[in-house]
Amino acid sequence: MIGPALALSLLVSALATAVVALAGTASGRLVARSRFRGREIADALCHLPLVLPPTVVGYGLLLVFGRNGWIGGTLRAVTGFSIPFTWVACVLAAAVMAFPMMHRAARAAFEGIDRRHEMAAASLGASRLRSFLTVELPLARRGLTAGVTLAYARALGEFGATLILAGNIPGRTQTLALAVYESVIAGEHNTALVLSVMLSLVSVAALLLVARLSRAS
Amino acid sequence: MSRLAADLVVTPPANPAGSGFSLEASLAADPGITILFGHSGAGKTTALLALLGAMRPQTGRISLGDRVLFDSSKKIDVAVRERRVGIVFQDALLFPHLDARANVAFGARDRAGNSAADAWLERVGALGLAHRKPAELSGGERQRVALARALAAAPDLLLLDEPFSALDPAAREHLGSLLLELQAGARVPFLHVTHDPAEALRLGGAMLVLEAGRVVAKGTPTALLAPGGLASDRLDATNWLRGTVVADGDDGGRVDLGGTVVLTGRLHRAPGKTVVLALPAEEPIIATDPARGTSARNILAGEIAAIVASADAVDVIVATPALLRVRVTRAAVSDLHLAKGLKIFLLVKATSFRVVG
Repeated sequence: MIGPALALSLLVSALATAVVALAGTASGRLVARSRFRGREIADALCHLPLVLPPTVVGYGLLLVFGRNGWIGGTLRAVTGFSIPFTWVACVLAAAVMAFPMMHRAARAAFEGIDRRHEMAAASLGASRLRSFLTVELPLARRGLTAGVTLAYARALGEFGATLILAGNIPGRTQTLALAVYESVIAGEHNTALVLSVMLSLVSVAALLLVARLSRAS
Repeated sequence: MSRLAADLVVTPPANPAGSGFSLEASLAADPGITILFGHSGAGKTTALLALLGAMRPQTGRISLGDRVLFDSSKKIDVAVRERRVGIVFQDALLFPHLDARANVAFGARDRAGNSAADAWLERVGALGLAHRKPAELSGGERQRVALARALAAAPDLLLLDEPFSALDPAAREHLGSLLLELQAGARVPFLHVTHDPAEALRLGGAMLVLEAGRVVAKGTPTALLAPGGLASDRLDATNWLRGTVVADGDDGGRVDLGGTVVLTGRLHRAPGKTVVLALPAEEPIIATDPARGTSARNILAGEIAAIVASADAVDVIVATPALLRVRVTRAAVSDLHLAKGLKIFLLVKATSFRVVG
């Protein structure tokens, strides 16, 4: 059970982090810089997975993406694919739980940029996209990197929402965190210890890698 | 030839002070350097942001040459990036992650960004700094690069928001000369915000005085800042004098203040150059007879043009014919029977004139 769980955890947390990095950067930038009706409400909704118990988030995801859910039902009717109890459900649960980390970090990073940099870029003829890519993103880099790190850590350790949306099927949806739970319940303390150490090593390795990447660029 | 003409009514959206500040000003600037003069809170920065397009006026109209940038009645509001209005901020504010050359190339519109950037860096005397990041530049160097960056985009109007206020006097003087040179080459209006009278006199061909969001005076800096000028009452008791160097040597300099030639300390300026001198109003001595045997190098014959009494002192404005403000006590006025039209002499030490620009 150790090998598949490790492989699944690495895949799930990497995919979830990639999705969250894009979505969180977009939502953070939007809330930091755009003035629109309901901005505060949107920001609060983005924080919801952080304040709710993971089980509630998992149940909510089941309602929306379940076999007969609002989106899940349509998806099943159109493609025949059902999300719950698949590795996609693991990614979805991890991504939703990790999203607030990235959103918060991105929002703070963009709010920390002196607006006059954007004014200067625009006065020099730069389009919004060019200003975003060549001025804002590099200036927000530190904060965004921190957000990615936190999001990855959160995705790797996700348990509650994953359990509800993806179940705990060894070889299919059982991530390291779920495997630890199962071994403890089954009294297999040696396995639990190995898995825990493994999870710790992966986490530390990921943190070191991110730290190195952010120094190098 | 692009001429700036703007009528602006701007109420900044969030006003934490709650002072109800608003800007209602008509600004005009021809090619050349126009000084926007005023103390902090007068609305200078608000005016610049409105011209730049970063703050939307409630009503008004902005035109630059034959282009209309903003017109509230016709719902015209050209985006910042299409206005061709450049800006240099007080703290330079270069892109910190780009080196000097990349900063300048950012604004160069043609694809030959780097060669154009190098040409601009050379014009501002910063070619040797091309590969340095902003954090590795001095304040003066940053402003040079910021000027190059703004001008490389070929703006039709350049806004300068107190660009020299954070610099030491030597860097200020160098950048002042550079700005005059660059303006001569660019032939577009430069709107230069400052509250430094010396800077205004040295750089400005025209000046607008802004106070509490309103333009309260316009004219040349020399006329507005001269003793008795519209802006002078708002300054401390210093004579800000713009003159032309007549001679300079080990024995001191001679400066023509416009009909009045005064002896000064060493100027370190070539004859024919412009110089700005500061003379504290407390320094000159008024004499009713030409004095002899005094160390004062200047004995200027003049006539009292006005006497302005304030709570603590009396300011005597003397036409020599260049106007000088002399601050004396009430007792001095009554003892000497000073009155408008009286012919007097002013004793001024050569070293009382301070070179400030």
